[in-house]
Amino acid sequence: MDDAVIVGAEIVAGHDGSAELLVRLRHPDGSEGPVVLDEETGLKLMEACAAGSLDDLKGQSWRRIVETG
Amino acid sequence: MFDVIVKGGLVVDGTGAPAFTGDVAVKDGRIAAVGKVEGEARQVVDAAGRVVAPGFIDPHTHFDVQLLWDGAARPALEHGVTTIVPGNCSLSLAPLKAADRRRVVGMFQQIEEMPPEAFTTAFEWSWEDFAGYVAAIRKGLSINVAPLVGHSVIRLWVMGNASQERAATPDEIAAMQDLLRECLDAGAVGLSTSFVDVDENGRPVPSRFAQFEELDALCAVLGEYGRMLQCVPEFYATDITIARIDQLAELSLKHNIPTTFSPLFDTAAVPDNAPRAIARVEEHFARGARVWPQMQTRPIDISFSLLRPSLFFARLPRWVRILRQPLDERLAALRDPETADKMVADLGPDGGEQMMGRLVVRGGDAAPSELVGKTLSEIAAARGEVPARALINLSLEHGLDVAFLSASQGHQLTDRIGPMLAHPLVHIGASDGGAHLASFATYGDTGYLFSEFVRKGRYLSLEKAVAKVTSETADIWGLKDRGRLAEGLAADIVVFDADNIDRGAELPSFDMPGDGMRYVRAARGVDTVLVNGEVAYSSGAYTQSRSGVICA
Repeated sequence: MDDAVIVGAEIVAGHDGSAELLVRLRHPDGSEGPVVLDEETGLKLMEACAAGSLDDLKGQSWRRIVETG
Repeated sequence: MFDVIVKGGLVVDGTGAPAFTGDVAVKDGRIAAVGKVEGEARQVVDAAGRVVAPGFIDPHTHFDVQLLWDGAARPALEHGVTTIVPGNCSLSLAPLKAADRRRVVGMFQQIEEMPPEAFTTAFEWSWEDFAGYVAAIRKGLSINVAPLVGHSVIRLWVMGNASQERAATPDEIAAMQDLLRECLDAGAVGLSTSFVDVDENGRPVPSRFAQFEELDALCAVLGEYGRMLQCVPEFYATDITIARIDQLAELSLKHNIPTTFSPLFDTAAVPDNAPRAIARVEEHFARGARVWPQMQTRPIDISFSLLRPSLFFARLPRWVRILRQPLDERLAALRDPETADKMVADLGPDGGEQMMGRLVVRGGDAAPSELVGKTLSEIAAARGEVPARALINLSLEHGLDVAFLSASQGHQLTDRIGPMLAHPLVHIGASDGGAHLASFATYGDTGYLFSEFVRKGRYLSLEKAVAKVTSETADIWGLKDRGRLAEGLAADIVVFDADNIDRGAELPSFDMPGDGMRYVRAARGVDTVLVNGEVAYSSGAYTQSRSGVICA
């Protein structure tokens, strides 16, 4: 089964004053949509993807999110 | 003989009708006359050159705990807010069994960031049921309270530990229905639920374990009373938000209830988020459903310190790597001159002026008081350093306990938000008053409405802006006695200077129990606030009045 892929990432202001991670996903059917991760999960995703910066998240499988749990 | 006459002001009656110069007379807590009033009064409030409007209604707050020692919900009242709706986001302080208090305190501390002393020293926990909580706050109120009951605490009461483990059985759902009826009979104005919030351990709050059948059954009870369902949807995830809107619309139509979701934010990262949500709301209103999106007026700020890793640095790989390290290793790295040099170099030739120069030292922590409110650019210049170096060194000098604010990082574009706030189906609210105490000030959104969107942006007329936060809010929530300056209604009145009403600067204040810190904003341009006919705030001071009520 194909996975969704991260095609973009940005920092957005969370409603609680934290910096949150908004990742844009491209799904296997070609559709795209945003998902917002809280600060802790966002940092864990970057770690799971060995991403030093936001640009490093591009092209990573969304399945990596499982490793943040 | 009237009790009070508010004399000679510009009367903005809350209906959206054109303002006119006149008087408002009060007797026995109610508005006795509006217009040219003849007769004597025990107290005259000179309102010449000022606006006289109905008291503002804040439909999304978390003052549940604070109300137990502060019946004015300071500083909400001084901003002209005369009625608040606490109990949002699935959490209220009742119904709650004594054995479950610690668990709910953890959830409140997570959301409200209230110090532990607030729950152990500031009040005597004398109630379990909703009527008991209402009785506990009623005696000291100087602001009106229209409380929601939280889905999470109803679930916890009925299911205990299982409330955060599984779906409810039919018998448990029936028990929740009975309990909700009891709360509504005791004064609750609706039910709040959440699809987002977590407890202090990062676990979803109980309401998030509910299946649709449970929410549907609870809404059936709301339908018996015609009361509100409030929910917190997933932020920025537009497709999911729209699915929630659809769900709320079905519940609204099926049970003939009003529903509201909060907050709805605008963000440059997902520019179609709010417009798509509003468009969906329009479709559902056209079908007869009531799904009110709540939108706050104030921008969202990001705050952080080097005590914890922050995504603020997500574009700086070296900073992310260093700040993710355990505290001891992080401190060692920051103190290492070679590492610090590389970190500063990462910011480029301007030393971080563009990225960090506008950061503001917030205060309320270990930062020297003389630096509070100053930008990092100013501080760096005074120190003879570039901003990135100043951020590192200032943090090191104070054990990393220096909070920085990056202002207006979301929901900040006045030219986009103004028209949305003016939209007839957008409900101005979502202040979160009384929550996120140690992160930012949740007070003064009404002042910001008038300063930013009426005076500066001119997206709403004075009359329309007043109507948005008075009569329209009262109508949405079914608060029949509030929101208008009309004979016979409750005399909740605010007198303010239309040219100056605003929110003050965000400042730390150590006025929580146990000298706990919170950020507050004082009011500007609000002269006098009457609650049920009594002056509760005047000339910059709170009075001894305790005229607030539980209102329905």
